[in-house]
Amino acid sequence: MTLSNDARRGRVRRYIERVRRLRAPDDPLGERARRELPAVTGLSAAGVELALRQYLELDPSAEELELLCASTPEAERVHVLLSANVFVAAHRAVAVALAASEHVFVRPSRREPVMARLLQEASSAFQLVPELAPAPGDHLYVYGSAETIAAVRSTLPSGVTLHAHGPGIGIAVIDLGPGSTASAAEQAARDLAPDVIVFDQRGCLSPRIALVLGERAAARRFAAALAEELAAWEARVPCGRAPELDAERRRFRDAALYAGEVFAAGTAWVSLDVSGAAPLVPPAGRNFHVRHTPDLLAALAPLAPLVTTVGLRGGRALRDAVATTLPSARRAELGSMQKPPLDGVVDRRGG
Amino acid sequence: MSLLEESAELHQRVRAFARAALGAEAPRARAGFEPLALDIARFQARWSPGYARLVAASGDRLDHAATLPAVPAEAFRITRVALHDAALDAARFETSGTTAATRGQHALRDVETYRELSLLYGARALTSDAPGRRTVVALAPPPTAPPTSSLGFMMLAFMEAFDDRALADRWLLSDAGVDVAGLERAASRALQAGEPLLVLATSFALAFLLEALGHRRIACPKSTVVMQTGGFKGRTREIAPAELRARVAAAFGIAEARVIGEYGMTELSSQLYEGTLPGGALAGPPGVYLPPPWLRVDAVDPATLSPVAPGDTGIARFIDLANVDSAVAVVTQDRVRNVSGGIELLGRLSGAPARGCSLAIESLVAG
Repeated sequence: MTLSNDARRGRVRRYIERVRRLRAPDDPLGERARRELPAVTGLSAAGVELALRQYLELDPSAEELELLCASTPEAERVHVLLSANVFVAAHRAVAVALAASEHVFVRPSRREPVMARLLQEASSAFQLVPELAPAPGDHLYVYGSAETIAAVRSTLPSGVTLHAHGPGIGIAVIDLGPGSTASAAEQAARDLAPDVIVFDQRGCLSPRIALVLGERAAARRFAAALAEELAAWEARVPCGRAPELDAERRRFRDAALYAGEVFAAGTAWVSLDVSGAAPLVPPAGRNFHVRHTPDLLAALAPLAPLVTTVGLRGGRALRDAVATTLPSARRAELGSMQKPPLDGVVDRRGG
Repeated sequence: MSLLEESAELHQRVRAFARAALGAEAPRARAGFEPLALDIARFQARWSPGYARLVAASGDRLDHAATLPAVPAEAFRITRVALHDAALDAARFETSGTTAATRGQHALRDVETYRELSLLYGARALTSDAPGRRTVVALAPPPTAPPTSSLGFMMLAFMEAFDDRALADRWLLSDAGVDVAGLERAASRALQAGEPLLVLATSFALAFLLEALGHRRIACPKSTVVMQTGGFKGRTREIAPAELRARVAAAFGIAEARVIGEYGMTELSSQLYEGTLPGGALAGPPGVYLPPPWLRVDAVDPATLSPVAPGDTGIARFIDLANVDSAVAVVTQDRVRNVSGGIELLGRLSGAPARGCSLAIESLVAG
């Protein structure tokens, strides 16, 4: 069975048109999304609103849909195991599955079943199932923790094609060296801040670290400015509740404070290292680490396996270096790290 | 005073405190813990910019040991936690590679305090039932030169202090596994000499030994003591602590009380022991780890670092007087409960659960 890409694109397009209801706050489904999602996602109401309005991928271009279908292998039946991560990710996962097959079975996350239910009610394009039962020849897409993926892999029936997408982070690479303007640090902080605050950094695209080239003073200006921007954002879009992160946040702050410098960023922290320290990865919840480095490639190396996307600010040479070092990571402008084109799965590291 | 003069004086005071706190005037001497801890903390706040920042952020006045700002063990992984210049390092102990993507490091300027205090308390925990020489072996690889393992350094100190003979077959673990024949020879020598055998081992090595032995037993003196330390850190051979103790005791033909748990970590300079040695100087039930008088342990809330209610579980916050040149107050991820005179170890605090494809900090630092 091989459908033309036209037919597959049409299927995905019809699904997306129906799902647009969720973006509208006066639609019953849109209203339900705003009422039910804060409780299950841990995001604030304003955080959910922001995500629905600006980060639900409802307006793909024709080229994006073409790429989505081209990058997704066709299958008779597709099964999707969702995780409780960024709630809008369920939408892309379903779109990818529909690009592959008209027979799509979705098992929602037990912790966050709401979004999948809303998508199903809006579109009727797939089936929600309590357990997945892939058969030989089927494709199974798994989004989740390394433990979840390992468990699925260990019980996978033979003949089922597994597409596993595990944990990761985003990073920013910012050149504040010679040639950058006097306000470049502040501008970069302003542009990066929305990438950090949306979803409270719970996604695999969420930036946690910035590698900054240039003078250390510029890196410090960037860190301080980012902390201010994050605090300002928090006043508009409060961070959700995450008591499970309190201990990690304290540990991160104290360790970072001992190793370098820390800036208060609302309820979160931005840290700045002092000298060639080992990688410090902050916990989610809008915490961030700025690493000043004279050697981009050396700083990237230990992070490479983890990085799903890189936010870039700099010239051609910097972009080429990142592309060569992290060939499978997505690359985006600052401010667009959480808005990848709907051209396939977000995580391109393989699976 | 210069940093080095002040450090040397504090080392002397800590050693004197330790001797006195285990001596005849122990109750009176132990009252000196608080002022000594505060003096070390003030010294560290003066000479360590990192600790000074931590103190400033906490607003602490460094006037009570119970509230001293604690350095997270994590800091040893991401930066140098030492007051002195690296050129003055006498040893750099590294954390094991299984718990951190980048190994943590504890730099010591003066290893004599570490050595003396380890011996003072180790002797009480492991050899105080029967003074005199014993045959000492370790189910561990020989230490490197310079030493990078605090455990290896301590084991070597025990060998030199408790068994002054230049014997071969001391280090009985290699890539090939446990040298069972070497252990049997050491046990035989101890039997012939009519002296105790002291076996120093990690839990992991003991699991290897049990596997290698099968149903065989080591013929050794009834006075044999096995010091067991460390967990399994996610390795494949994992045995529950009670089962391991029982099987080790059976393998050596000794009472379970003679298998004595030790707890130490690279970021500390002092160790805790179970007080189960019959007739020994320490007394406590199995599973309760007793700190020496120069080490204080409190279970604290992982988010606030305030002490939890008595009997509740928290993470371990240590005041270790022997950490003169690094961090006198250290907070770890180890979950503990304060019980009479000591602590129970309840495993590591795991990172907050990752929500889907977000990555928990633990996943990033864990190897």
